[in-house]
This record gives sequence, structure tokens and C-alpha cells, in this order.
Amino acid sequence: MMKVKALVLTGFGLNCDNETAHALTLAGAEADKVHINDLVNKNVLVKDYKILAFGGGFSWGDEHGAGVLQAIRMKTHFGEDLQKFVEQDNLIIGICNGFQTLVNIGLLPGFDTKSMERKVALINNDHGNFIDDWIYLNAEKGSNCVFTKGLETFELPIRHGQGKLYTDDETLKKIEENNQAVLRYSSKEGKKAENKFPENPNGSLNDIAGLCDSTGRVFGLMPHPEAFVHWTHHPQWTVMKQKMKKNNQDLFDSGIPDGLKIFINAVDYFS
Amino acid sequence: MIYRLETALKSSLKDPEGENLRKKAKDYFNIELEKVRTINVLLFDLPISETEFEFVSKEIFSNPVTEIYSFSNIDEDFDFCIRVGFRPGVCDTAGNTAVEAISDILSKQFPKDSGVYTGKRYCIKGKDLSMEKMDLLASELLANDTVQSWNIYSKDFVSKNGFPKDLIPKVILNHEPEVLEIKFSSDEELNKISNERNLALNPNDVPVIREYFFDEKVILKRKEFNLSNPTDLELEFIAQARSDHCNHNTFQGKFYYKDKDTGEEFVIDNLFKTCIKEPTIKLKNELDWVVSVLWDNAGSAVFDDTYNYTITGETHNSPSNMEAYGGSLTGIVGVYRDPLGTGLGSKLIMGSYGFCTGLRDYSGELKPKLHPRRLLDGIIEGVKDGGNKSGVPTTFGQVYFDNRYIGKCLVYVTALGLMPKEVNNKPCHEKETSPGELIVMCGGRVGKDGIHGVTASSETFSENTPAGHVQIGDPYTQKKMHDFLLEARDLGLMTFITDNGGGGLSSSIGESARLSGGCVVNLEKVPLKYEGLDPWEIWISESQERMTAAVTKENIDKFLSLSAKHEVESTVIGEYTDSGMLHVKWNEDTIAYVDIDLPEKGFPQWIFEAEWSSPKSRGMIEPVITSPKDYNSLCLKLISSPNMSSKKWITRQYDHEVQGTSVIKPLTGVNRNVPSDASVIRPNLESEKGLLFTQTINPGFSDIDTDNMTRLVVDEAFRRLVVTGADPEKIGGVDNFCWPAITYDEKTNPDGKLKAAKLVRSCLALKDICLEYKVPLLSGKDSMYVDGHLKGPYGETRKVSAPESLQFSATGIMDDCKKAVTSGFKFSGDRIYLLGKTLDELGGSEFYSLLNEKGVNIPKVDQKTNLEIYKKYFNANQKDLVNSGKSLGKGGLFTALAFSSIAGGFGAEIYLDKVLNDKSLEDFKILFSESSGRILVSVSNENIEEFENLMGSSSCCHIGFVREDKNFIVNSGSDKIINLSVDDLESAFEKRFGELV
Repeated sequence: MMKVKALVLTGFGLNCDNETAHALTLAGAEADKVHINDLVNKNVLVKDYKILAFGGGFSWGDEHGAGVLQAIRMKTHFGEDLQKFVEQDNLIIGICNGFQTLVNIGLLPGFDTKSMERKVALINNDHGNFIDDWIYLNAEKGSNCVFTKGLETFELPIRHGQGKLYTDDETLKKIEENNQAVLRYSSKEGKKAENKFPENPNGSLNDIAGLCDSTGRVFGLMPHPEAFVHWTHHPQWTVMKQKMKKNNQDLFDSGIPDGLKIFINAVDYFS
Repeated sequence: MIYRLETALKSSLKDPEGENLRKKAKDYFNIELEKVRTINVLLFDLPISETEFEFVSKEIFSNPVTEIYSFSNIDEDFDFCIRVGFRPGVCDTAGNTAVEAISDILSKQFPKDSGVYTGKRYCIKGKDLSMEKMDLLASELLANDTVQSWNIYSKDFVSKNGFPKDLIPKVILNHEPEVLEIKFSSDEELNKISNERNLALNPNDVPVIREYFFDEKVILKRKEFNLSNPTDLELEFIAQARSDHCNHNTFQGKFYYKDKDTGEEFVIDNLFKTCIKEPTIKLKNELDWVVSVLWDNAGSAVFDDTYNYTITGETHNSPSNMEAYGGSLTGIVGVYRDPLGTGLGSKLIMGSYGFCTGLRDYSGELKPKLHPRRLLDGIIEGVKDGGNKSGVPTTFGQVYFDNRYIGKCLVYVTALGLMPKEVNNKPCHEKETSPGELIVMCGGRVGKDGIHGVTASSETFSENTPAGHVQIGDPYTQKKMHDFLLEARDLGLMTFITDNGGGGLSSSIGESARLSGGCVVNLEKVPLKYEGLDPWEIWISESQERMTAAVTKENIDKFLSLSAKHEVESTVIGEYTDSGMLHVKWNEDTIAYVDIDLPEKGFPQWIFEAEWSSPKSRGMIEPVITSPKDYNSLCLKLISSPNMSSKKWITRQYDHEVQGTSVIKPLTGVNRNVPSDASVIRPNLESEKGLLFTQTINPGFSDIDTDNMTRLVVDEAFRRLVVTGADPEKIGGVDNFCWPAITYDEKTNPDGKLKAAKLVRSCLALKDICLEYKVPLLSGKDSMYVDGHLKGPYGETRKVSAPESLQFSATGIMDDCKKAVTSGFKFSGDRIYLLGKTLDELGGSEFYSLLNEKGVNIPKVDQKTNLEIYKKYFNANQKDLVNSGKSLGKGGLFTALAFSSIAGGFGAEIYLDKVLNDKSLEDFKILFSESSGRILVSVSNENIEEFENLMGSSSCCHIGFVREDKNFIVNSGSDKIINLSVDDLESAFEKRFGELV
């Protein structure tokens, strides 16, 4: 069987390309790392792929707003290709800087794929600083998001300085009514973070950590699923390993880390 | 045409930057501000139309969801307004990316002298504010006068006069580049010139330079190119190459050592050769995993069958001391170019930091250039932006406070890379330049940045040190270059690569051309940030983010077009030759023509007198202390001391998980707040092989004896790696010495001989322990002159020397990273063991320092015994017998127990009578001694027999067990001398810096 082809963006300060491609490969895709200018110069075409990954990093050094300059570059040179790509039943995932880029392109919240309007912003964390830590997330039940299927309460790392999701009341209401707020920061038990630090690490409105568009095929999130695809990624893995060993079980043979599930959902969509 | 744009967050949105200023004004200076709002100012000096300007303002520079924008001043009320902008020529990445974006969206190329300049305007409201208070906030919190300028306007002023026009900080030099011929007839004159031109030539070098230029053969050769007296560029070339920073004259020096107590005397001819090179070569010949050491930008060692790893460590003390943010940012970004410029280039895989500053709450009467709190804030932020934006995980770090660092702070930065063993069937760790290959400069452009940086760091910081050598690195440009160069490497497009750091092109070309045997450089081809630089300035400028590569003529087109794809500027600026000469041209004129190996020719060795006297003969004593009664308070106090308490706020600002390689993170435990002994990464995502890393520093021991200090830091680094799971036979090290000036001078450095003796003792100890532990020194650096002259309250200045500091970094390998061990207790009921002996060794301990004592009983390192313990522990872990492991360091047994308890979330029950010790030590000595070689281990009951058999009784004692609850109890006989809850310990550990984010 042909493997599902995935394109992972590189260049201009992006820095999670390697592990994002690795995660997609683990999930069963054939992942290519492609420099943004190879798309600009049409050496590579988006339409030859099924999954497009906007990865993490500091594109253009995060100057003038995280993801802003990357979004401009893409909109200018192949904005229409992206629109078509979504319409043709393909998938886009934007992680961290990629999420910031998707909201600036206007593919998210993407009430209407035609308009590509900026409706949502990801701005400085309320505490004003970059933070690397692990947080709990709750996946929205009843959403049509392809990527979060089967996920409930789970953990991922966050690593950002500009992750506070902000929008006007009307847009927020619409996002929530459409079940597009697919990931929210939560307590360990899966209760609402209620905008409290550190459960909600950045002050995001209504604890929103990730969005999908109205089709469920474009997905953006601040946490890093590609950084939890191996059990040793988890901060407590040495404890988990010993505990399972006590019960004659092997952590490394005990199922799929939650970050990897997101990529598997994407690849499985095409089978 | 000049356009001006202001943007700001909508007033309904919180302004974290403004809020941060409000908080700091209160916390640092007790100035109450009601409200602060930040406004971004952009000045466009671009040939675009008004319509185009309005278009880009809307599309690029303002966000419709969150921001408002205006072409005049945004209407935000204030009592005072502070405008901050960069000084001319300071790196403004936001400005540069703006030009890039506008050029792309409008499909327009702009002339070289156009630009976008960014600045900020802070609108401040509050009662009882004054110009003076605002100036304090501006100078202490918002701007640093070496790189930024500011203006303060009151509401009154603005309502009467409006805002004055912004100044465009464009560099206009109005200077016609010129080359000076330097005439001198005597050594005296040359010395004078050296002082006037800030060359920092060593007076002993001057006769050699004079003899060279007065040599008839040389005169004849030079005449061919119309040269007679040396040019300014030639003298700068010699000065750079001979500087202590590049040439390590101190370590290459000759030391006359004398022990005043015993009368013993000996001479060490070249510390570097004797103590670092010799043992490392010996170990390289013995160990098959050491690949390349002692010559390249970083050392390399075997990681697995496919890859080698590379490592080096640097310091960036002087620049950080003056401009904390820019200095440390440039430091981390700079050290990242070292692995990138090692062999044919390695990918960056991790970085680490070590900061030594005065206490955050320092309130002494001597005034450092920057208060330690501000200095540390800036350093933290610089390494954050440099590391995070480079996409390199910062997996380890340490901070050490001592008020003697107010003279000069220390900023250590370490970088690791990974390179394939072979690219295109050639070993990747080898490189050379050959005649006919082109010299290519890649990356940023050249400006006046950092001129005389190398020579300035070879001098003691004084009021007169020029601030011009401070600069701000640009990780964005460098990341693009990193990606480009690795792709070029894999395509086999380069034969040589090195970085442009200290000394700029002068060093990178000077050194690389020694391999081929000469070069011709067309200096006028070097792309500049602005016109008007003299050739000598271009030659030695330390403008950042540049590498020098050698590319063959047949590959050059491919190389340049790949560079263009990555939007990295690459320029051919010359050619390697085998003429034996450094030949620099400016258009048609020859402006330098000297032997390429001139810097290596017959310069005299530096000579040092070193005089040692033992701590006791220096009047130091062991303090007389009886057993404390209130251990609970003592323990809480100790764990909350500046050097022990949690630095989580720093660690969390650094991305330690990017690249998806994280296995053991810098912080561990149920609440992810306890420092790990070592970090582990899995740099090859396809494999389970782990790379371990740790660092140690303990300058507190140096006051007693640097011999012990050195052995202790090496032993502790080695032990931390083994505890975490490293194979003890594959551990490599990196030494980073930071020492005060050691040249004796009756007036200016009266204890120079002792400081020199301390350096000799440290180096000899390093050699000895590295040979015994079989730790090759994969890389290392020294930074001398960590002294400062600070203003006192009466108009005097006083010299403050930092303690002799050696940061030791160590790397290790584990075949299966899934065997890594963390320090937290795992199960209630587990047995707690202490490996190693506890002795009466509290000299230099954290406990003594809490009591303001020093002591003389410094821990000794029993190298043989320790190694045996480490090997046994390694075997026990290979058999999965170890549930937790913690190396004992600062704060001794108590701290290790506390950390394992906090990390595990379990209490412990400990019996001090069971602790293996020499004589019957008092309880406080058992708890707080810092004897080396000890490890705290917890073991499940089903494994205790096997574990005990493996360890043997001579070095292993069962001292207690993990409790089910959170009570932390230490018994001495029938007395519970410590009875605390783990939560109390944890909050004491967290509280000092707990408010900081």
C-alpha cells in the first residue's frame, strides 16, 4: 500500500521539523521536510501531499508577532494552494509556531475556508515569559476534529511565550458553539483549568489550547504532540516504568504515547 | 521617505510587558506605578509609496484582533512617557525582518542604506513620579546605555510642545576608508602605539614584531607590494592572534612554583601542554571512542556506529558584565557556531549554561556596573532568546552566587553537536584548506560591532574599557545559516568550515590559511552593514552570525545557489594559496603582506611566579562548633539558601525539549522542581542510545585549596553521570577555567603569586584525576582576568577578584536510555542506602557558608575507592536493581535526602548511627559533610540481597527506608533530631525565588 505523504515545513527559524517528521513517520506516513522557499519557488507543490505540518519554532525570529511573517510569506506566494488543499479533503496540523501561523493566515478558526480572515490571535502569555512545562489537556467531545479522535484527558509539553488565545466575544462564542475549541487546558482530573496558572499556563480565553476549523481537517494547538511520541519523553517515565515493573508489565510495551495518537489519527484518516 | 507607525495592544487587553515594568519598579525600587502601557514604534526609511506603507502597516505590522495602529502618536494617557530606541549600528532583528517582509510582499528590492528601525514608548501613570524616578526606571529596567538611548517626556512638556521628532538611528560614518602606515623606530614607540590604538600588545612581544619588520628579507619581500612599515591592519592581525583570548598565553606560560611551607620548588613549562594536552593525547591513544581533540573548534567523540558527538564550552564574561542581555545572547549564539564549525560541521543538539553573579539582594557599598539582580535578569533573558530561537534544547544549567562576582560575572555557555562519521565517504571530523579553494564568508554582514572584543577581554575591566565591543547576537540569522551549512555539508560542497568569533576574519582566515599555507583576500568584497569602515576594522570586526568556508571552484555555484535558497548571504572574498603569506588587498592595493605563520614565530613565553602556602599557614582554621539543637530550622534554612534553593524560574524559561530528544530533563520529581544530577538526550531519534550531560562548579572550595576543588568538581561530574546511568568507561570532560589575574604586581596584584599557585595546583590535580578516571578533555577554554575595579562610597575604586572558578562539563553514553535513573524515591518501604564514606570534611561546605565560616577540612577525593564504587553502581543499575540514585554534593547527606524525598513525594526514616564514617562523627557532621564519592540509593526489598552482595559492605550502608507518608525523620540514637514534612522542605526549597516566572 502507498504510504500517506506528509510535508513538514522547514527554514526561516523553524526548529521542530525533524521530530515532527519523525512522529509522522512513526504514525505510518512518508514525511518530507521541505524548505518554505521550495514551495515559494514551486519546486515542491502542496497538492502532491495529503498532510501538511506547520511545525514549531521561531519563524522569522517571532518578530512582529509569532507566526505573522510566515503567514504573510505563505499567503503572498501560495495562499490559494492552501485553500484548495483544505477543500480537497486533506489535513493540516499547526503546532505552536505553526498554530500561530495558521491563525494569522486565517485558516483557523476558518468558519469559511474562502475568506481566510484573521479572527483569532495568539499573544504574550499573561505572566509575560516563555515557559517549558507539561500540562493536562481535555479533548472536546462531539467535535469533528480528525486529529483528536479518541483522546480524553492527556498530557503534553508546552514551550511558548505567545500562547494566549485571544479573540472577540462573538468569535469565541461561535468557536465554542461549533465545537471548534477541541483542546482545553485542564486539571489532572480533567476538570476545567478555569484560567488559573499553572493549569492554564498562558491565560488563554476559556482555557483554549487548540482549535480546529469547521471541517475538522485543519487543526492547530500550542502544546507539542511530537514531543510525546516515546515513553521517555514523559517527565515521570522513570516512575511509571518502575510501577509497571512491580505489576510485571513493561512501560515500553504498554500502548501508544498520547502525542503519537494525534499523528496516527491523521494518517488513519486516509485509510 | 520616512514613515512612522505606532502599534499597541487594544486597551481591553492586558499588557504583560507594561505589567512587568510596573512590578519591577515596585519590587526593585519601591516606585509605585498605577499603569504602564507599551507602544511599539516603527520608523521606515524605505523608498515606498504612501499607499504601500499603509498596506504593509495593516497587513504586516498590526493585528486586527488585538492591536490598534496609528500613523501619528497613539492616544494613550500618561504622566511620563519614556521613549527607548537602539543606538546606531546595534543589531535590530525586528527592523531587519521588517525589511525582508516588506520586500517580499511588495516584490521590491531596496537600496542598501534603507532600513526599518524599531523602538518603544512606555506610557506611565502614577502619583509622585519625577524625572529622576523615570530616569532610574529607564536606565535600570528598560534600557542599557551601551546599546540603547532613551528620552523622557512629561505630560506638561508634551501638551505644550508635542513629541520631538524621532531620530533615525542610522549609521552614517562619512568616512573615506583608509589604511595607515604605522611608523616606529623603537620598542618604546610601538608600545605607545599599542596603548593608543588599544592593541593590548604584550610588551614582551614587541621586540619580536619590531625584528620581523626590520628584517632585511622581509623588507625586500614587502617592497614588491609597495609596503615598508607595518600597516594598521597588519598590527591588528598580530595583536588579535597574540591576544590571551586566542593564544592562551597564560596557560602556555612558564610557571616557577614554590611551596613556602615545604620549600619544594619546581618549574612547569607550559601548563596547557603538561596538564591538558599530554594526558588527553595519552587517553586518546588508549580509548577508541575519542575521535578528535585539541585542535578544532570543538572536540569529538564516538556516539554510535553512525555518529560522533562534538562538544565545547566557552565563557562570555566581559561583554555580559557590561550588557547582560546582549553579552550572554552573543555568548550562547557564539558557542553554537563552534560545533557548527567543527570538522565539516555538526548539527547542534544541546546547550547548557553556568551563571556566577553576586547575590540578587546584594546591598554592599561597592557599585558594580549592573546590580547583580539586573545583571542576572539580563543574562537569563539573553541565553533564553539565544538558545530557544536557535532551536537547541537547553538541557542543563547551574547558577552560583557569591558577592565576589560583582567585579566580573561569569557566563559559561556549552554546546554539543552531532555529526555523521562520514559524509560522501570522507571522515566528517577532518577538514583542510588547499591552494585554489575559495574563501567564502557566510551569514551576517560586517559592521563596527565588537571591534577589540578579544583584546578587551584580555584586560581587567576598568572605568575606561571601551563599551564599543558589546553587541547583540541574532539567532534567527544564525539558524538559517545553520540549516544551510548542514545541507551544504551533506552535499559535499565544502572542504573546510570555521566560525567567525573572537578576532573575526583575522582569526578565521589567519588560522584556516595556515593549513593551505597562505591566502589572498579581497577585503573590499566583504559585505558591510554600512559604508565607511576602515579595512582594519572589517578585518577584525566581530559582527556575529558569520562563518568562513572553503569551497572549490567547481562547487561554488551550487554552494551559492543553495545559500540563496536559504536566504543566507554568502560572498567569495578571496582564495587560499600556498605562498606562505597572508596577502590582503583592498581593491588593487596590497594592505597586508606578512608570513602566515608570523603569530607562531618566536614570541617569548609568558613567565609567572607561583607561591603556595597552605590554608593553615595563611591563617585559616577549622571553626569551633558544637552540635546544633534545632535541626529543623537549620535544615529549612539551609535548603532555602541562595545556592541551594530552587532555580525553577530560570530552568523553565529555557526550551529543553525541542528536537524531541528529551529523556531526563533538567528538573525531575512529582512536581518537576528538583534539579537532576544529569540530563539525558536521545539525539538519534531512530535509536535508544542516550547522551548524558552534567556540569559542576564549586568555587567555595578554592579559598582553601584548588587542588581539592578541582578533584571535587571532576569527581562530582563523573559521579552524577554514573548515577544517572552512564557507562563509567566512556566519560569525557570539558574544562572551563575562569581565574583572576595571576601576574604578580606589588601594587596592583599583591596576591598574584598565590593565585598563580592555585592555577598550577588546579591544573596538576586536573591532570591526575583525568588520568585516573580516564576522562579525556574533549575541549576546554580559559578566561583570565575575572577582576573588576568598582567605585566605592568615597570616590575611591576597589579591586574585587572573583574566586578561582572551574566549571567542569562531562558527557557520557548509555546504550539503552531506558535504564536512566532519577533521584526521586519510587516506593514506600524501599531501603535507602548510602554508598561511600562520610568523613569530617566540612571545609568549604554549604553548612559552613550558612554560618559564615570557611574551615580547612576540605574533602579529599579518594580516587581509587570512588571509582570502584561507581563501577559497582553501574553494574547494579545494569541489573535493574536501583530504584533511585542521587549524587551527594552541596549540602551533603541532608540535601540529597531532602531532594530524593521531594522528588519522590515520599518521606524517609533515617538512622544516622548506620552511616559509615571514620570516627564517631557528630550528627551535624554526618548530615552536612561534603565528602566525595557518595551516592544515595533506594532499592526494592526483593533486590536488596543482590544489591548488597554486589556492592560489598566496605562502601555501602543501609541507613533507612522510604516512608509511606510525607514525614521526613532523621534519628540519632533514640532521638528524632529532624522531624519535618516533605511539604515543609519543598516550600522552603521553593520560597526564595518562588515569585519569579
